[in-house]
Amino acid sequence: MPRQLEWTRRAVLRLAWVGVIAASALTIEPLVQYLTSKEDRLQSTLVGYSKPLDVNSDWQNTANARVWVKRDSLGVMALVATCTHLGCEVHYHVEKKEWLCPCHGSIYDLEGRPISGPALKALPRVAVELKPDGSLIINTSKQVGMDTRV
Amino acid sequence: MKDQKNFVHHIRPIFVPSKALSVLYTFCLGGVSFLAFVVLGVTGLLLMFHYQPGNSTGFSSLLTLASVIPYGGMIRNLHYWAGQLMVVTVNLHMLRVVWTHSYKPPKQLNWLVGVALLMLILFLDFTGYLLIGSQESGAAATVAVNILGLIPGLGIGLAQVLFGEPSAISGSTLVVYVWHCFALPMIALFLQLYHFWRIRRDGGVRPL
Ligand code: HEM
Ligand code: FES
Repeated sequence: MPRQLEWTRRAVLRLAWVGVIAASALTIEPLVQYLTSKEDRLQSTLVGYSKPLDVNSDWQNTANARVWVKRDSLGVMALVATCTHLGCEVHYHVEKKEWLCPCHGSIYDLEGRPISGPALKALPRVAVELKPDGSLIINTSKQVGMDTRV
Repeated sequence: MKDQKNFVHHIRPIFVPSKALSVLYTFCLGGVSFLAFVVLGVTGLLLMFHYQPGNSTGFSSLLTLASVIPYGGMIRNLHYWAGQLMVVTVNLHMLRVVWTHSYKPPKQLNWLVGVALLMLILFLDFTGYLLIGSQESGAAATVAVNILGLIPGLGIGLAQVLFGEPSAISGSTLVVYVWHCFALPMIALFLQLYHFWRIRRDGGVRPL
């Protein structure tokens, strides 16, 4: 008869060590991914908009960004649709002409001023630059006042 | 305990009082608190690789961390829940010490060390909450600064040293960051090591 493997406390604990080491090895790849991720590197703060923008148009969304643009009789303006409460993306409600936040229900008027909910500050306006060909360059890192038009 | 001369014997003693092994005596609440502290240290260190302290950057760097960095959400949540757990277990640990009358001599000094640790952990929890940099953490920082400001003479300076200049809508300042991620954990770590050493010096865990 071959020697029977005996499940002593010592043997079980030794097996547990193997388990601990194996589990630790499994964390190496996720750790490397986490530590080497560059997703939060600063990206360009410039956003472009090249479609025609009529006077007294409604808010228009730029591609791939939370930036919205609009033109009134005084000029062009740009707004960032990030809730000033805790940073969720607010959605523009075309019929109501209001901005609604899905997270805690903040509501902003057409101009982005808070009407109700926990948010206290207006949606940020950012600088717009008009290029000769009529397209827009929006600089999201440069905040401007509510009345600024280009 | 003459045979526990070196550090290895201190970590793995040849004998321990049987009460110290009885789960129903300590409920291992101090041990669980220490485990939570270790988890907090490891996950906190990892958070520091992507967190950017500051009134305007703290909140957005956490949003990015939790939503686009691989495993960032998991690490943030581990840190958050270990923090919640530690506050609960530290309080229960103190209640157990009261229940078994373990604050009495010769353990009165270790009781005081424990009270200091409790205060430190609560303050760590509070500074961590400020680091979120949300509107709520800004409100919390403002309240704390205003309460400290009521202390005659010292108050305003003390608030500066502890919190820097938080804005009303974000509590994340470099000052809070340094306290939370370095100074307080270091003080808490050394006090804990002293706490454990004193247990042995006071004769180990046993009913008085
Ligand atoms: C030892 C006890 C500790 C406690 C009780 C504690 C507690 C907390 C709490 C409650 C938060 C807020 C997390 C959230 O609500 O999302 C936080 C955040 C943070 N802590 Fe700690 N912490 C501790 C230790 C540490 C250590 C040792 C480090 C670094 C070495 C650290 C680094 C951080 C960072 C960078 C944040 C901001 C990230 C976030 O909010 O998730 N913490 N901490
Ligand atoms: S994040 Fe918009 S209401 Fe809270």
